[in-house]
Amino acid sequence: MANIIDVPKPRINCSMLSQHINRPVCFVGRVEKVHPTGKTFTVSDGEGKIATVELNEPLDEELSGVVEIIGMVSNKGVIMASVYNMLREDKGNLFDIELYNEALKVVHDFPQHYPFEGAVSG
Amino acid sequence: MTVRLTEGAIEALFKGTPISNTVLQLLNSKKIGNDLPRIRLIMSDGVHSSASFLLATQLNHLFDENQLEPYCVCLLKKVVVNSLKDGRLVISIVDIEVLKSAEEVGEKIGNPVLYNSNSTDLTSSQEGAASGTPPSASEVEESNSFSPKSNKTPSPQKFIPSTPPSTSKARPGPYTPSPSKGRGRGYTGKSPMKSANTLPDSPAKVIPISALNPYQTKWTIKARVTNKSKERTWSNSKGEGKLFSFEIVDQSGEIKVTAFNKEVEKFYSLLEQGKVYYISKATLKAANKQFNTLSHEYEMTLHANSSIVPCNDGDGVPDVHCNFVPISELEQREKDTILDVIGVVKSAEDVSRITTKSSREVSKRALSLVDTSGKVVTATLWGEEAEKFDGSGHPVVAIKGARLSDFGGRSLSALFSSTILVNPDLPEAFRLRAWFDREGHAADSQSLTEARLVGSGAKMNWKTLSDVKTEHMGHEEKADYFSCVATVVYIRKENCLYRACPSSNCNKKVLDQHNGLYRCEKCDRDYPNFQYRLLLSANLSDYGDNQWVTCFQETAEALLGHSAQRLGRLRDTDEEAFNQVFQRATFTTHIFKNRVKLETYNDETRVKVTVLEILPVDHKEYSRRLIRNIHKMSAST
Repeated sequence: MANIIDVPKPRINCSMLSQHINRPVCFVGRVEKVHPTGKTFTVSDGEGKIATVELNEPLDEELSGVVEIIGMVSNKGVIMASVYNMLREDKGNLFDIELYNEALKVVHDFPQHYPFEGAVSG
Repeated sequence: MTVRLTEGAIEALFKGTPISNTVLQLLNSKKIGNDLPRIRLIMSDGVHSSASFLLATQLNHLFDENQLEPYCVCLLKKVVVNSLKDGRLVISIVDIEVLKSAEEVGEKIGNPVLYNSNSTDLTSSQEGAASGTPPSASEVEESNSFSPKSNKTPSPQKFIPSTPPSTSKARPGPYTPSPSKGRGRGYTGKSPMKSANTLPDSPAKVIPISALNPYQTKWTIKARVTNKSKERTWSNSKGEGKLFSFEIVDQSGEIKVTAFNKEVEKFYSLLEQGKVYYISKATLKAANKQFNTLSHEYEMTLHANSSIVPCNDGDGVPDVHCNFVPISELEQREKDTILDVIGVVKSAEDVSRITTKSSREVSKRALSLVDTSGKVVTATLWGEEAEKFDGSGHPVVAIKGARLSDFGGRSLSALFSSTILVNPDLPEAFRLRAWFDREGHAADSQSLTEARLVGSGAKMNWKTLSDVKTEHMGHEEKADYFSCVATVVYIRKENCLYRACPSSNCNKKVLDQHNGLYRCEKCDRDYPNFQYRLLLSANLSDYGDNQWVTCFQETAEALLGHSAQRLGRLRDTDEEAFNQVFQRATFTTHIFKNRVKLETYNDETRVKVTVLEILPVDHKEYSRRLIRNIHKMSAST
């Protein structure tokens, strides 16, 4: 059974959420607010826009800084996370989310040069 | 919708009542004078009209472009009221904005009468000179068009009390013939006050800096020193000497002043940056744009008769003429432009001493400046400025006349002629201070000066390995230098080490005499020992091509991560560990700074590439560069 990990997941930002409904994506953003239940939180992307992330189980740790989330986009544009990954910022090298957003735009503007979809063999 | 004129403004201006931002209607305008034309305006406030208005020369273009048509309504944003010796008043308009054009208004507003003030008593600020001299020919034209004698008002500029110009002869006097055509007839283009100076002991009239030109001999300016350079000596085939220069500003503009030799001794200690002085009698000549970045057509040189007198009244003289460029805009500007910048010191490095290419030792200090755009740029201070700078407390720093360089992307360098102001008394400074204290200090900022590790002052010439062949790099007389991001795919282990002369600075290979001694041909000596040195042959690769390169001791040690000595020992003792060193270094990616040259060896000519420096890849800088290049490429398709 195809696991979300084995499937190509385009990196997107908030403006691209609507084009990826019901598809697996990879979203990198800065944690904004965590819901008290710990099952949902909001993230902001490099353009400052906000998206909502929902988890299967509540968080068991403090979530802050920049996270990389892999999940499916629901009909309502919410990211149903399967896996998340906090990027360490303590090594002094801050993650430049605006730069990441620029790179993201390049990848999407020139899909002919970034043929990721066909990359993973079946 | 009609615009309201400021009724009573004319009377207020003539009476000396403080009034600002008056809205007046232009009734008529006239260009007078030849060499430096002035525009006389007849303005009305609906109640009174007056022909005592003169446009400051820097606004002459408004008249030339037909922006000041009769009946247009204007906002006088800044005026300077000056009184002539004979008591008449002249109102110089320094800043004006047309609120409604002539077409929109179409007619005279109200029924203004020519303002006619009564007494012409000279106030105490007019000392000495009785205006008994008949107005010279030059004034006749003026008196026709000026309104009748107006009330004496205390002018914002005081006259020199003690150093009257020594050449105050009656005009037209025995002046040496000069290129000026305007003297003695009509309006010479100086501000009206100046033309009335005829008697000895009469206080000199002050003219605006913008009116300075080589064709005037008698003038005085009142200005503030904005920028004073250090004393410099020069020595060339024509001789030697010393000089210093400074820039001065008044409301009308700025000009550069230079003093040589004797004048340096006379004036260097007298002049202080930030203070106001009366200056008269200096030579005006066309500005040398190579060294002079100001916009004035001319520049001034002091001579033996020059007079500089401190002035205590700095009213009306602006502090510094600064045109600050927001840090975020620096990326769009061309490199090597001179501009002004202001920002908060986010961080400052310690001062360091470096040796320049000309073997001079100089101090330098790098600061990170941030402004409200959130962008950060590195500014480098040099010499004394670097040494005495105190970055504690995140001061606001303004640099006037800094050079924008493309070092590390975009960065700033203070020049010999730049002025560094710490926590200046400027509105922009207060704004920045407030912003920084509130939010700026916490905000993430993006630096325009990336990867300060990269580069040592030389411009990074980024190439890919395929460019080396396609561009035939190294084929010229001089070697080519370039930087690239590449991956090491192979390092030759065999013959990577050689035995070298142990004396420092001599790296020649020594010959094993097999008697415990090693002979160095260069030093012509035998040594009992040697030192291992690395000479690495490696193959680098990127997406386009691969390239064999040579790494000498320093770069080789950097690449392998071990000293030559240690590697020599490992090779003899622990072969496995020795191999591992090479394994670990293989398939690592770095920034390589290289030198490429065509070389002939035994009848064979080849392009040889030597690695000068190896640096870690700064991914942020690399990404930015790639994105920039992609955008450039897509824009040009």
